[in-house]
Amino acid sequence: MSFLVGRDTRLIVQGITGREGTFHSAQMLQYGTKVVAGVRAGKGGTVVEGVPVYDTVRQARQAQAANASVVFVPPQGMHEAAGEAIEAGVPLIITIAEGVPVHDMMDLYHRARAAGVTLVGPNSFGVISPGKAKAGFMAHAIFSEGPLGIMSRSATNCYETVFMLTRAGIGQSTVVGVGGDMIPGSTFTDLLPLFESDVQTECIVIIGEIGGSEEELAAQYIGAHVRKPVIALIAGKSAPKGRSMGHAGAIVSPGGEGSAEVKERALAAAGVRIAESTAQIVQIAGEILAARGGGRSGGGRKG
Amino acid sequence: MKLLEYKAHELFARFGIPASGGPVVKSAEELAAAAARLSFPVVVKAQVETGGRGKAGGVKVARDAGELLSLGRQILSLQIGGQPVSALFLTARRDIEREFYLSLVLDRKRKRPVLIFSPEGGVEINETAEKHPEKVLQAPLDPRQDVEAPLLAAVVEKAGLAGKAARQLEAVVENLFRLFRQYDCLLAEINPLVLDSAGSLAALDGKIEIDDNSLFRHPDMSSFRDETCGEPLVLTARQSRFLYIPIEEAGNIGVISNGSGMIMSSIDLLSKGGQKTACALDLGGGATADRIAEAVRIVLSNPAVKLVLINIFGGITRCDEVAAGVVRAVADIGDRTVVMRMEGTNKDRGVAICAEAPGAIELVDGLAAAIEAIGRRLPVPAAAARREGGT
Repeated sequence: MSFLVGRDTRLIVQGITGREGTFHSAQMLQYGTKVVAGVRAGKGGTVVEGVPVYDTVRQARQAQAANASVVFVPPQGMHEAAGEAIEAGVPLIITIAEGVPVHDMMDLYHRARAAGVTLVGPNSFGVISPGKAKAGFMAHAIFSEGPLGIMSRSATNCYETVFMLTRAGIGQSTVVGVGGDMIPGSTFTDLLPLFESDVQTECIVIIGEIGGSEEELAAQYIGAHVRKPVIALIAGKSAPKGRSMGHAGAIVSPGGEGSAEVKERALAAAGVRIAESTAQIVQIAGEILAARGGGRSGGGRKG
Repeated sequence: MKLLEYKAHELFARFGIPASGGPVVKSAEELAAAAARLSFPVVVKAQVETGGRGKAGGVKVARDAGELLSLGRQILSLQIGGQPVSALFLTARRDIEREFYLSLVLDRKRKRPVLIFSPEGGVEINETAEKHPEKVLQAPLDPRQDVEAPLLAAVVEKAGLAGKAARQLEAVVENLFRLFRQYDCLLAEINPLVLDSAGSLAALDGKIEIDDNSLFRHPDMSSFRDETCGEPLVLTARQSRFLYIPIEEAGNIGVISNGSGMIMSSIDLLSKGGQKTACALDLGGGATADRIAEAVRIVLSNPAVKLVLINIFGGITRCDEVAAGVVRAVADIGDRTVVMRMEGTNKDRGVAICAEAPGAIELVDGLAAAIEAIGRRLPVPAAAARREGGT
């Protein structure tokens, strides 16, 4: 089983005629994702990578019974494009762009909730359920199918972890790029219930970082509702205060709010195992899965 | 992007919030020219991005032209919070009856703007919140709606104002929220908002922080982005579309990587090993040999950097491009070294390119091996490693 994306996903690519949109549509198709439609105003009726293109999301959704959309448009156009997908009632919208204005995300966050649709990203590599489907731009060769569910604010830290996990024979159930921005469409707390109820996921990994309060909020939720083992890494312990570390969201306020210490303390108090490095995530995951008896992906995909 | 105070006042005025005006001078000559035109007393205010300028001697009152010249020159020569004072804002002095605090801040936890008001202005709001939490009014706002009447009434009540001043306060709140939304603010703060002896409200000092990601729709502000940046290498890197981040003044390692998360992880591991990072540079995605070479040059132009850690991990990053760029940049590296870890496509070719280069590059497999190699090249006292590592 998988969630968010899987074999039943019928995916729209918004911005399919752009360089990134075209390239990654081909990559997603190659991985086995059912990319059923592209959207680009003014290009309706054309075909890209064998995928029919429509002028609007609504047309694409109706014609192809699509149930998800990945938005490959530049940050300046993200508000309008994701807004169009929300209006069209697409149940899952995955946003990729880095550099989306936070006021745009604040607006989309509330609109998506009001419409009852799930928004993931932005500043995210997307979502992948290894062996089944991917919606995003992640280098899929490093992923492998297995019992570990992962959500991450950082693409590179996630890649590094997945790379080592796969080498160690530990596969992944679903991996979500929560994204590095100040207001993510879906927070760790929003996603935790999905990992908790997914039968394939035996252990949950949170790759967080400094800034904001999402790890603390996740800790509260875990303490009350999550029975599966959880491992967390908080990157940015040694970052100077008051300085953004590249991700718009990765900043500790001069007063210390958003610091790694506060996050780790909250998570540890909720019973979460704290990893000091990506390598240690792999080590702890190995211990947990061995204790549960098995969990190895056994000759699965390897990149 | 944090605006300098005088720009914040310009924006306040544009949105109908009574604010301070006056000349902005950047040199002794401009100061002298302004001194001849002004009527006194004049408040001389250092324009720096950091707080605490009053305590650092960056705000003074000049009673005449002579005093303005001497005080002005003195403040222009100051360093406040490590930043040189590049400009002075010269503004009229007001007679103050009362001081309030008003701000709008983007609250990440609530995913909404939050209004904060306190009848005690002129002090840090955190201080008031700690000592007298009952005095601080905090209210989340709907980003798509104007400020609602009951909240305006609550602010007025908290301020204890009536009549004309009360109406003025309502207008200031509404206008500040218009400014906050229209200019993509992370923070719009007036502290203090003063009631003068004539019974009028005005912004005496203000802080505005605009979301960098929104600057494409604020061309009138983007030209001021570099004005608030006191770090020459940040600007140099920005021109090449790199992000350069100063980390520790006492550091001697430069970190280059292709992503914010990887940079943080690298610095964390270095720090755990007792090492100190001087700076980091984020390449962004899809780096070519030319760009890698430029990035290495920028980091090496920081004289504190004795060793560069290059940590590249990406599905689409080509290791041969990375290697070629690094080899080109280390030609005249002197006695400094590069420890490099890379993972991605064409790794074998990248390794071959590095192998042919002179000994300045040490290629390692994995981040842990990189940290180990750095420990060998820059030994740290065992005590420091233990303390930093603190398991």
